[in-house]
Formats: sequence, structure tokens, C-alpha cells
Amino acid sequence: MLGALAVVGLLISGYLTWVHYAGVVPVCVGGSGGCETVQTSSYATIFGVPVAALGLVGYSGLLLAALLRGEASVYLGLLVALVGTLFSAYLTYLELFVIHAICEWCVASAALMVGALICTAFEAWRLAKAP
Amino acid sequence: MLLALIVAVAILVAALMALLSQLGGAGGGSSASSEDVGKLYSGIPQNGTTLGKSSAPVTIYLYEDFQCPVCGQFSRKTFPEVVDRSVRGGKVKVVSEPLTFIGSDSVPAARAALAAGEQNRYWPYAQLLFQNQGKENSGYVTDEFLKSQAENTPGLDVGKWSSDLKVSSVTKQLQAAQAKAQSAGVNATPTLIFSGPGGQTKLVGLYDYEQVSQAIAQVE
Repeated sequence: MLGALAVVGLLISGYLTWVHYAGVVPVCVGGSGGCETVQTSSYATIFGVPVAALGLVGYSGLLLAALLRGEASVYLGLLVALVGTLFSAYLTYLELFVIHAICEWCVASAALMVGALICTAFEAWRLAKAP
Repeated sequence: MLLALIVAVAILVAALMALLSQLGGAGGGSSASSEDVGKLYSGIPQNGTTLGKSSAPVTIYLYEDFQCPVCGQFSRKTFPEVVDRSVRGGKVKVVSEPLTFIGSDSVPAARAALAAGEQNRYWPYAQLLFQNQGKENSGYVTDEFLKSQAENTPGLDVGKWSSDLKVSSVTKQLQAAQAKAQSAGVNATPTLIFSGPGGQTKLVGLYDYEQVSQAIAQVE
């Protein structure tokens, strides 16, 4: 389950990272240009690094956690999912209250991160319960 | 407890990333500060909505709406290079034709830019409008929003700008731009019409500098 979420997240982050470097406009359902507004806002990059690339790193971490066995990988997954969810919440706040535009790809990624958090939290809880 | 430690570390890391995002947000090549806007246009003559030397052989007529997202992208990503590599050297001048078809908010935004043009600060003001562009027709074009861009425009007298918002010259320029768009068959923004001794050509939509310079070469 975590692996599947991570793969979809990688696809979305990969697409947005490519969009940034290719200088193209992201596909946007709803036709209101929200995706462009968000992706070209000053919040879309941190010191020149597109936020989508951070997503690539995060989802890779989750995929790794999903593929490995053992305690360490459970805690790695939980840490990455927590950071990812918190940061996604901050980015969503920016979309709603600062940029005043919604990018559906970002919303999808935030949802995936929350899903990943639920999975990893469940795994960690199971680990804590086991004798 | 390990779990508590993980949660604490996660909160710390996320907070750090949020902080960096606030600080380093402009590092992606887009200039969001008023010093950057001032630097881009320093030394280049501005006359109302015209940017560049009046003797420049090639003219780019830039039909744009300040609420148009693709116009915003063009302004943030491609236009600085056009200014640096084609306008500064005196080969090209750009004339902005502000259109207001996207929505009612487009009108005050265009009027505000034209008011800045009365002091020959149209271009830095327009760039700030695009740097801080919100979602079209979301109501982000408030008086405070427009005034804040004026305050950040280097060399602009905000008091005079404020009274110029209502002058009839601004209204006439808006109507003239509208009429020009109709007669030129412009029905989408951004539309760039290149005109020079070698003829005319048109680009509609978002283009990179390579494509713009090819169009310039076509009409030289």
C-alpha cells in the first residue's frame, strides 16, 4: 500500500519537476490556470530548487521504507510521511491564503502524503504493540 | 520514547523547510523584490507603455491582461531575458497593449499600470503586478494590492499615481489598446506582434527567449 502511494507520488513529483525545467505549462483540469499560478509563484522554488524535486526525495524515501524490512524502515517511513504531511499542510495553506490559487497536482500529492502517514503510523503502532 | 523523538524531529524539519521556503522563494530565477525590478529596467528609456529606445528598428506589441496566468508566466520567465538581450542593446522596443477581457478585476489593474505610465514607470509596475499575480477573477486586485505594488515601484510618486488612476488619458489609452487588438485580430493573451523593416510576425502564448529572438530575426 505504502509502495503504491509512493510510486504515484513519484510520478506526480516527477511530472511537476519536469514541467519546471522544461518551462512548459502543467496540464490543469478546470481550465482556470490555478496550476500555472501556483507552479510559477515564488513559493514554487526554494533557493532555485523546485518544491516538486523535494517531493521526489520524499516519495523516494517512502518507497525505500516500503521495500525494506525491519524496524528502521518503519521509523524512516513514519518520519518522511510526517515531514511530508506537515510541509504539504503548509503549502496548502499558502495556496489557499497567500497565492489564492489551487493546483490540483499539489492537492493530490498532499492527499497521498496523508495516506502515507496513515500507513506508516499504522505500521509503527503495530511495531509498538508487538511483544 | 522513540516515537516522540521522531515526531519532534519531523516537526523541526518541516518548520525549517517552511522557513526556507519563505526566505529563499525568490531564488528560482524570478525577481520578486523592488530592487530586482529596478535593476532590470535601469538605464532603459521608458515612455508611457513603450520600453526601449524609440529608434529601435524592431517593435514588439505585447497584448496582455494582468490577470492572465500565461502572461504572468511570460513576464516572470521569458521577459527579463528579452529586456536584457534584445531591448537593452537598442535593437528592440516593446509596446504594451493592456487588455481587460479576463474579468472586471483586469480593469483596475490595467488602469493602475497606465497611471504608473504617466510617470514613465509603467514597466516596473506591470512586472510587480505579474510577480504578485493571484488567481484570475478571485478578487485579489484590491486597492491595497494595487497601492502596495505602487509603493514598491522604484521612482514612483505614489500620491501622483493615486490621482492619475482616474485621469481620462488612462481611459483613452485603454480604449485605444482595445481598438488596436480588435483591428489586429488579437483574441488571446499573451499575443506578441513583431514588426520591423523585414515584415511582421505573431506569437500567441508562452514562448521562451530562443523563439522570441527567432521572431525578432524574422522581421529585422
